[in-house]
Amino acid sequence: MLLSEDQDVQDAEALSEDEVDELLVEEVSIDGMCGVY
Amino acid sequence: MSITDERVDASARDFDPDRAWRLHPQVALRDESFGALAYHYGTRRLLFLKSRPLVELVSALDHYESARAAIEALVPESEQAQYTRALARLAKSEVIDAH
Repeated sequence: MLLSEDQDVQDAEALSEDEVDELLVEEVSIDGMCGVY
Repeated sequence: MSITDERVDASARDFDPDRAWRLHPQVALRDESFGALAYHYGTRRLLFLKSRPLVELVSALDHYESARAAIEALVPESEQAQYTRALARLAKSEVIDAH
């Protein structure tokens, strides 16, 4: 049986480099936002 | 190799950490609690910079002779690889450019 903390560690290790990098930089699509402002 | 793979490889080649980089003149940074918003008036791209150290690094790039020098001066060694990739990502989106 996995403790929740163990599962968290496994989840963190399973993150790819791209996913880790997404923690720093994220591009947001603003298509369709015209008219919002 | 797929077209996507070629595009990723090309973008990785585009960022040379030994060159001098700066915030692109057409990019505005707006400070936020999580870091900053970066908006490119030319490409109309909007990006979240989700850490204060990354915002400080990007803002200070033009004070250093190379991106590598800026990273070594401002980022702890254990995080330098991650921040180098973050700058490569920003170069790909033209938030920073070589000069």
